[in-house]
Amino acid sequence: MSYESKTAGDVAPERVIEIRGLEFTYPDGRKALKGINFSVGRNECVALIGPNGAGKSTLLLHLNGVLPERIISPQRVLVLGMPANSQNLAMIRKNVGLLFQDPDDQLFCSTVFEDVAFGPPQFGFEGAEIDRRVRNSLAKVELQGYENRSPQHLSRGEKKRVCLAGVLACEPGVLVLDEPTSDLDPRGKTELKALLRNIDATKIIATHDLELVVELCPRAIILDKGEIAADGPTLKLLSDEALMLAHGLEVPHIIRHMHPH
Amino acid sequence: MHIPDGFIDGKTAVVAAAVSVVGLSTALARLRATLPPRRVPLIGLTAAFIFAAQMLNFPVAGGTSGHLVGAVLAAVLLGPGAAVLVMSSVLILQCFMFADGGVTALGANMFNMALIAPVAGYGVYALVLHIAGQNLRARLFAVAFASWCSTVAASIGCAGQLALSGAVEWHVALPTMVNIHMLIGIGEAFITTLVIAAIARVRPELLSESSRQDFKAGFGEMAVYGLLVSIGLAAFVAPFACKWPDGLEKAAAVLGFGGKAAEQPVFPSPFPDYHFPGFGNERLSMAVIGAAGTLTAFILAYALARFLTPEERR
Amino acid sequence: MNTWPCTQSGSTANACRLSPVTRLVAAVIFVCVLALLPRMAWPAYALAAIMLLLIALLSGVNHARLAKRILLLEPFVLGVSILSLFQPGGLYIFLALLTKSTLCLSCMVFLSETTPFSDIFSALRLLKAPDLLVTTLALMHRYLFLLIEEMRRIQRARKSRTFSNRRSLIWHSLASIIAQLFVRTSERAERIYMAMCARGFNLKGQGQAQ
Repeated sequence: MSYESKTAGDVAPERVIEIRGLEFTYPDGRKALKGINFSVGRNECVALIGPNGAGKSTLLLHLNGVLPERIISPQRVLVLGMPANSQNLAMIRKNVGLLFQDPDDQLFCSTVFEDVAFGPPQFGFEGAEIDRRVRNSLAKVELQGYENRSPQHLSRGEKKRVCLAGVLACEPGVLVLDEPTSDLDPRGKTELKALLRNIDATKIIATHDLELVVELCPRAIILDKGEIAADGPTLKLLSDEALMLAHGLEVPHIIRHMHPH
Repeated sequence: MHIPDGFIDGKTAVVAAAVSVVGLSTALARLRATLPPRRVPLIGLTAAFIFAAQMLNFPVAGGTSGHLVGAVLAAVLLGPGAAVLVMSSVLILQCFMFADGGVTALGANMFNMALIAPVAGYGVYALVLHIAGQNLRARLFAVAFASWCSTVAASIGCAGQLALSGAVEWHVALPTMVNIHMLIGIGEAFITTLVIAAIARVRPELLSESSRQDFKAGFGEMAVYGLLVSIGLAAFVAPFACKWPDGLEKAAAVLGFGGKAAEQPVFPSPFPDYHFPGFGNERLSMAVIGAAGTLTAFILAYALARFLTPEERR
Repeated sequence: MNTWPCTQSGSTANACRLSPVTRLVAAVIFVCVLALLPRMAWPAYALAAIMLLLIALLSGVNHARLAKRILLLEPFVLGVSILSLFQPGGLYIFLALLTKSTLCLSCMVFLSETTPFSDIFSALRLLKAPDLLVTTLALMHRYLFLLIEEMRRIQRARKSRTFSNRRSLIWHSLASIIAQLFVRTSERAERIYMAMCARGFNLKGQGQAQ
């Protein structure tokens, strides 16, 4: 199930994210990504799965321009057809919202309102517009009335939703999520999945939660040791037991019950 | 060492506040100019870290426990300017959120723990490094001795402020504060050095040159701090150290607490004729104790550094 | 850790009706005036005490909590004021210092009981405090309890693996707890910076501080 890379310069307009031969090495010499190629279309929902240490988080950080810290080869990552260089960084960050794995890393302001309102001013919005976006986003994540709450007193699920609101306040077309349901209790997971289902955007979700993958993402990419091992329809990939085991994964129960062997 | 409200009088509070504000402004100005934005979260988080570290107890002689001040720890990790900001922030939060340290005493507390402590500490640290070399053993030695010095220096400032405000007499304040803090300083030196050694072992890049580049101290900046510390010490300590008994008594009479001189103390002073056996003079005894303490600290610091770096041969 | 009576119980008490700037400034003025009074101004102390008591009673704050916090801080006041005994007229000085200090302390404790710290930040910003200072205070406040939690977790982990009471191990253990906490702190700071960048901070080299 390999992916055929498009020739350079030939980017179809509906390709929202395009990654070509992306490589990344950490400062200590570890090679985290070794030649990643894939593309994502408008309003697609793609799951990124793989064992720990595969490079999922590192890859996600490239989608919004946080990595690499110094841009050497901007043509490797294209967002909405534009290369990820310093000129396009503002546009990319406005259009690609990144949700970090640990909400405490992302929720750094003293109140919920302040935190959700952090993004829009960076992109030039002011005053009443910021207010509108904050209230809108909080409504979308069902946290109306939480404006003056302090992050310390929120549950983990609530914190994740505030972070999501903060990302949504910038009204991005692409949502990139790193382990959105990790460390959530079952109710928190269900609530978050419901919210994600209702958000209208292109979604790329790195996760260990295979149930979420089956429920929300028609397409899955398996990442292992910095390389793409497989890329295709979710059900097909996830029911391939040999493939799953080969990459430190397991066939989820949902699929076992769907396809009794 | 947090002084509550009510002990520092108006003139002392104003002088201390003025000096502290200038010191903090200098630090802020310098940081605004030289600090890369990626380091801003680190400063805020280090402040939280120092606050948290201050909550840990370590055993001091005889069942009592002491607390870390952390000024030199901050200065070694982030440079003196950031340390001034970090310590000031910790003190401000402690004052307004936990009522730990008075509002009117904030200037005094900041002078002691957010100006003298990090600046004098960093100064000693840099000086020792300059003389002893840059290897790990020298660094640990510098950290140990600098931490002790910073604690003691801060306590001298504190004693001076209390005495100048008339709350506690100088010949009670100085020996009490300084002697206690010479002991506490040992604990501070111990912990700070062990922490730096542990960080050097686990994540040396946090102490490396490139990390320090972001927090480099400028000469001008250090000169301003040095000046401020001198002004403060001149205001709080010099009146007592440079005995002007007539002038002080006149001032006391004018300011209205001279009348008490005639009364007998209700509680006899624990240091009635404070002198070291063999020395007739109170100030001389204090000087001898101070010198002995410093020398001891110096030797202990070196011993600790050696103990922690057995593998390094000169 | 702290619950804020104003925001949580929807209290309409007088104290909460005043804006945070007013509360902060009023408290600071109260304390400054009190601290700068002549030492033996007993009538003034009595007046101040009555004022504080009235405000505390009317404010709807949890009185037991207030009293407990004040009592917990008394030892620090005592510790310093005891030194004042050793001088002519020491007893009166001691009592005066104790009274004045306790009154000031009570006022500040009351302020912190009724005003969430984030309100104090907005107040500081309104009073034009320097940006970097307010940002540092805000970040410190936001992550303080998180770091304390992390510290306790590291402590617990260490305790569960330590079977000895040797003095030297206690020091070593303490130092490695603090060191580990700093390492985690600086890693988190890096991630926070990345999260800030992901939402547009520092674009074109001009970051907007909070």
